[in-house]
Amino acid sequence: MKKDEFYIGYINQIPSKIKRKLKFTVWILVLVVIVFAVVFSFFQNKFKNSTFELTNVSEITGTFHSKPYPSVRIELSPNDYKNVLLLGFGKFGPDKDIENMESRLNSIEGKEVSIKGNLIYYNGKTLLQIADSEKFPVMKKESQLPERKINSLGEIEIEGEVIDPKCYFGVMKPGFGKIHRSCAVRCISGGIPPVFTTRSKEGNSEYFMITDSKGNKINHDILEYVGQPVKVKGALEQLDNWFILKLNVEDIELLKGNSKIYSN
Amino acid sequence: MGLNYQLVLWNKNKKVYDRFILLFVLLYLLLFWGITLITNSNTSLETLTIRSSGTLAILLLHIILSIGPLARINKKFLPLLYNRRHLGVSMFLIALIHGGFSIFQFHMLGDVNPIYSVFTSNLDYSSLHDFPFQVLGFLALLILFAMAATSHDFWLANLSAKTWKTLHMLVYVAYALIVSHVFLGAFQQETSPYMPVLMGIGFVVLVILHISAGIKEVKKDKQTYEASDEDWKYVCEIDEIEEDRAKIFIVDHERIAIFKYENKLSAIHNVCKHQGGPLGEGKIIDGCITCPWHGYQYLPQNGQSPPPFTEKVATYYVKIEDKKVYVLPKPLDEGTEVSPAIIES
Repeated sequence: MKKDEFYIGYINQIPSKIKRKLKFTVWILVLVVIVFAVVFSFFQNKFKNSTFELTNVSEITGTFHSKPYPSVRIELSPNDYKNVLLLGFGKFGPDKDIENMESRLNSIEGKEVSIKGNLIYYNGKTLLQIADSEKFPVMKKESQLPERKINSLGEIEIEGEVIDPKCYFGVMKPGFGKIHRSCAVRCISGGIPPVFTTRSKEGNSEYFMITDSKGNKINHDILEYVGQPVKVKGALEQLDNWFILKLNVEDIELLKGNSKIYSN
Repeated sequence: MGLNYQLVLWNKNKKVYDRFILLFVLLYLLLFWGITLITNSNTSLETLTIRSSGTLAILLLHIILSIGPLARINKKFLPLLYNRRHLGVSMFLIALIHGGFSIFQFHMLGDVNPIYSVFTSNLDYSSLHDFPFQVLGFLALLILFAMAATSHDFWLANLSAKTWKTLHMLVYVAYALIVSHVFLGAFQQETSPYMPVLMGIGFVVLVILHISAGIKEVKKDKQTYEASDEDWKYVCEIDEIEEDRAKIFIVDHERIAIFKYENKLSAIHNVCKHQGGPLGEGKIIDGCITCPWHGYQYLPQNGQSPPPFTEKVATYYVKIEDKKVYVLPKPLDEGTEVSPAIIES
């Protein structure tokens, strides 16, 4: 006679046929877990080797400039200069920190200062999340560097994506595209300089600080275009290791489809 | 059974079940983290946490949604149903890690409230391609929270089984939201076709299981008997009911189970007071009708749970004439004592 098996959860003994079925099910589930884990981990897009030194505080010394966005200009080698973009904590620009510094030292525009913070760097660009602005820098000096030269390179029309450089150059993986769009909006809304990035057919990326046509900050006006493929046009300038793109927001064209930088 | 409420009424099978949940979770996380760190080492810990927890929650949700129809199709899968709520709560906690880390990562430490940011940082609600996918995930997480928070029998008893069941059917809404969240979010940026294909396979498997279980239920209903008035209704021959088992039939969309045991027949309402389990698919154990889902028990002659438990279901009059079984389809008050029909040998 066929055994009428019946499972009751609170009775320890599990009928033999049901137990066999459960063992088989467990092995199937092990297989399913492995397949899901392999597919979802192995086939992720490659992450960039960008760096955010979250736990390491560095000190950089250079000439402070507030325009187009706050930065410290340092000399890498004779006549070779680099502008390190300054950032605040979290999703904020450096305005509060600079306010702290200038409340102690008065204006630091064009002065040499030593600023502490966490470095962010990738692909030749360096940024600094300012730390301890209520204590540092303790002094300012006259700048040792020659005046900045901004070279005008004419008009340009180019496709790419508006990103927030803090995440893109190190804090987030990935720091661009649809997944990151909301965060980029928050960062740029909080005062982090908007940066335009594009990628050539050869795979080389270029980065442009974006301002309005007069060279002023453009954070809030550009929010609706952040994190999406767009075509922009404007006046191109070069400031040491950075391009500056002066544009009218009305000239920005939203493009359909994925941004070219998705394949980075 | 529902005498008093404890956080968890532990027993051996629940502990074994939970150990397997933990084992599968650890296996998944170990594989996901290991493979990513070996093959894509420039990742960040935050991204690893967000992605491993999000994908693991999706996997667990697929397993959870498979258990119900699997148990309908084959009763040998009922042990998976027994402690499914622990799997559900585990899945919610893992989804919460995903959602919490994502909100922290993408929306906190900014110039507006992070929850406000979830809804307003991307306002392209009219565009499918650019839709703010994070909102969908957030709403799904709220549903999963409501389900996890009310998963205890305390809520089941106080909300009523019907309300509780309706609330917990929202898991299908959560599933739809999560699928949309993933397809309108991560899959817009991740270029591998294998991930959407795997999600598609998961969806197809769920659809097939639910349809198969539905077809089986419909067939079962067709094998039963329709009755709607207050006359005695012929149901079946005595020999058609197996010893210690029941036969189910329908009256006005309500199912009645007639049990055969110790040369007697008794009829009760088919729906268990606990979670609405099918009592007619249960078995008489130690003189009690025992629900196949969670083992809740009722005495066949009065539909009452044995003391000190207090659950009651409706009973029905049943009689035997010439080895034919008849039932009076009008339900008696829950817990009403009815003399069993005696089977003459």
